Amino acid sequence: MGLDLAALMGILGLTGAFAIVGAVLAAWMAWRIVEKAGLPGWTGLGAVLLTLAVVSSIVPLVLLWVFAFMRWPRDEPAGAAPGYGGAAPAGGPARPAPTRALAPPAAALADRRGWKLVGGLPGGSVALAIDGSATAYVLTGAPAAEPTELSVPDPSVGRPHARLLIAAGRLGLEDLGTAGGTFIDGARLSPEHGPRDISAARAIRLGTVELTLSRA
Amino acid sequence: MTYVVAWILGLGTLALLMLAIAHLVVALFLIIPTWRICTRAGFSGALSLFHLVPVIGWMIVMAVLAFSDWPNGEASPARR
Repeated sequence: MGLDLAALMGILGLTGAFAIVGAVLAAWMAWRIVEKAGLPGWTGLGAVLLTLAVVSSIVPLVLLWVFAFMRWPRDEPAGAAPGYGGAAPAGGPARPAPTRALAPPAAALADRRGWKLVGGLPGGSVALAIDGSATAYVLTGAPAAEPTELSVPDPSVGRPHARLLIAAGRLGLEDLGTAGGTFIDGARLSPEHGPRDISAARAIRLGTVELTLSRA
Repeated sequence: MTYVVAWILGLGTLALLMLAIAHLVVALFLIIPTWRICTRAGFSGALSLFHLVPVIGWMIVMAVLAFSDWPNGEASPARR
């Protein structure tokens, strides 16, 4: 009987130790995950503490769902880079200066794969590869005349329409002030906004052309 | 005696089946939001299927999200 009790206590002790280690690990990992999403680390720690305080309730599940579907500060558009904000072209399809580039962001992306924009046109489809060999590309409705020009042959796309900028593994987009408009995940991008980071964006619209952004 | 054994085996199988179904239901409620978190971070949504692994599955998913670089980018330290 004494041996059985000792064995039982040993199992309980092991389970307890596993639970403590698991809780500490969970708190640490939750801290890091919410920080990567742009939230303060203590919110992740608080969620884990709340989970421990109300074990087997629905609260942790609700918190997980809220975190998954809320807007992350990481995805908030960064302000226009200094020196670019007020430099929108004043109407007219002026050819953009090739010297402009997206300012390096605070956090560079480790993933250095290229990007691709794929979409459908009334008479077919368009697939654009952005391999990162240049720091800036121009999206235009006209046939591409240079390697840094990407053609989207549609009447609603300006000539030129927008500019793609690459810096530190991130992709930026700048509207050049055409009538059709440029949209990032449904939100209008104006020339006044300057270059915006679209590394985490999914859908880009140029005029009436919907393009899906993904890694090459 | 045979009846007793059959009853015990039957009840045990039923209990295991119920446990498996409950586990799948709970895992599904974890997998859906985790799938979205993984894709927003830039990983494959299939990573969230680790929730199907009992006991340590959630730890594996959290560890990958916490300790690897997110392909879709992370918030800069200034934003945290």
